[in-house]
Amino acid sequence: MVFATGLGAAALLAALVGVAVGASPIAPADLIAALLHRGGGTAQEIVWSLRLPRVVLGFVVGGVLAAAGAALQALVRNPLADPYLLGISGGAGLGAVLALTAGLVSAWVLPAAAFAGALAATLVVYRLALVAGGALDSRVLLLAGVVVGAFAGAIVLGLLSVSEATRLKTATLWLMGGLGGVGWPGILALAVYSAPALAMLMAEARALNLLALGEEAALHLGADVARTKRRVYLAASLLTAASVAAAGIIGFVGLVIPHAIRLVRGHDHRALLPAAFVLGGTYLVVADALARTTFAPLELPVGVVTAVVGVPIFAVLLRRWTGRSSS
Amino acid sequence: MARAYLVLLALVAACSSRPAPHANTISDDWGRPVALAAPATRIVSLSPATTEILFALGLGRRVVGRTRFCDWPPAARTVPDVGNGIEPNVEAVAARRPDLVLLYASAANRAAADRLAALGVATAVLKLDLASDVRRAARTIGQLAGVPAAAESLVAAFDSSLRAVAARAASVPGRRPRLYVDAWASPPMTVGRGSYLSEVIRAAGAENLFDDVGASSATVSLEAIVARDPDAVLVLALDTLHEPSLAGRPGWSAVRAVREGRVLVVDANLYDRPSPRMSVAAADLAARLFRMERKR
Repeated sequence: MVFATGLGAAALLAALVGVAVGASPIAPADLIAALLHRGGGTAQEIVWSLRLPRVVLGFVVGGVLAAAGAALQALVRNPLADPYLLGISGGAGLGAVLALTAGLVSAWVLPAAAFAGALAATLVVYRLALVAGGALDSRVLLLAGVVVGAFAGAIVLGLLSVSEATRLKTATLWLMGGLGGVGWPGILALAVYSAPALAMLMAEARALNLLALGEEAALHLGADVARTKRRVYLAASLLTAASVAAAGIIGFVGLVIPHAIRLVRGHDHRALLPAAFVLGGTYLVVADALARTTFAPLELPVGVVTAVVGVPIFAVLLRRWTGRSSS
Repeated sequence: MARAYLVLLALVAACSSRPAPHANTISDDWGRPVALAAPATRIVSLSPATTEILFALGLGRRVVGRTRFCDWPPAARTVPDVGNGIEPNVEAVAARRPDLVLLYASAANRAAADRLAALGVATAVLKLDLASDVRRAARTIGQLAGVPAAAESLVAAFDSSLRAVAARAASVPGRRPRLYVDAWASPPMTVGRGSYLSEVIRAAGAENLFDDVGASSATVSLEAIVARDPDAVLVLALDTLHEPSLAGRPGWSAVRAVREGRVLVVDANLYDRPSPRMSVAAADLAARLFRMERKR
């Protein structure tokens, strides 16, 4: 209970900071007036059409990545798993680059093409990993994800080296990730799309707990292992594809936030998945606030901040955890 | 006959253990010596800017290879295409049997410069980012091709035309408009004062919104663009027939110039390189700004 309250408070605080800071300083009084739609002018434009959408998008993308990461780590039973491991980033990159090669450059085409590419990669990996009897083999899934990702990456590199350089470099730039690319309609699309996938993950939380004991044990305890694995894989992939379409590839959140929650709160997925969502969202909102302000008016890629800030914190957590278990 | 003798001399010099100093040895922008036995007659130009300079110096017929991005002047398109200018295909370059290769000073071109040197092809690395680089490159090329006088007159014409545009633009009464250069939409990328575009804008009587950034290009916050409130947005487009819709980009309608339709879409072919045509770009921009201000 204390933990949940603390997480909620941290999320609110992060949202406040995210709206309050930016490349152009706004006095607290003007900020409140702008939030209440009173001030008008530049401050109101900045708060309502730039900062608020970024905070909301950051929260949803961070949350979705952390929840998808937690579920995939349980699914393949590998602590190194992150949402991009299974070929999704490669597929999204290929989709975006193909769209640019075809000369389609608009605010909406890139995310849509990346989403289509990510979905295509997901389906290919899924098909490859379905072994006899319709069950997903975790090891085959990992391998299939890695090779499909490598294949897409190779085609992207090939296209980049033979096509018009300036235009396609921007595809890689876009893939580096950022929260400024979509506005309210994009956020709405992401939210509508993510909600059922998140619900599906939550419905499988108990089965994921059983799966952690090993597939054999889970079967004996009455879990439909094959169905759980299919559902978790598809839900996590859809979540990742949607987040890539909205914000490009933002590393580290989906890898480390789930581990941080496990280190502090243990392995029960019924608590882990929602906690990872809230902490992932909070973390990305704070990281984006830092990315926007550290070198203002210049802007850092948010993925740089998530790694530079997150790795030391995670190292401290790891030290504490290994210290505890050895003593 | 005289040239053959000189080539022979150079070969002898190259074979002897103490290379003899040569009259036509100059150093390029990486400080590497470029030694030519005779004025270059077969030149491979590996950047669109050097191709423009070569043609402007009247050396078009000596250009035996170009990048596929070299599209100006129109006659340049008839020169054989050897591919990329950054990380070029050394074999395709060597196959043109050049006596001089002009390479853009990018860190990615170090390996190519070394390999061309190993093949014994004289290679001049030229930095081309600002107007001053155009002058220096013109003089370097003029020396290597044995046309120093043509280079001096090109530099003089370049300077006087830029000055003329700047003087005309400065005579327009009123405040200097501030321009945001839209190099890429998301993340928003623009140019700093390290870019020739900043110089073009200044010559056109305007000001680059992010001149406080020293680099040639930078990723900036959309919020900073909104707060600085530019008078107009300058978009470089390869396809000027289909104008990009800036208002359709998420968040961009917060920029007043976008809301009020003050977006200048210009031909990237003219604006996207520092070249002898910088004054043409500046005059084009000055005319557009004048028309825009009159409409307001």
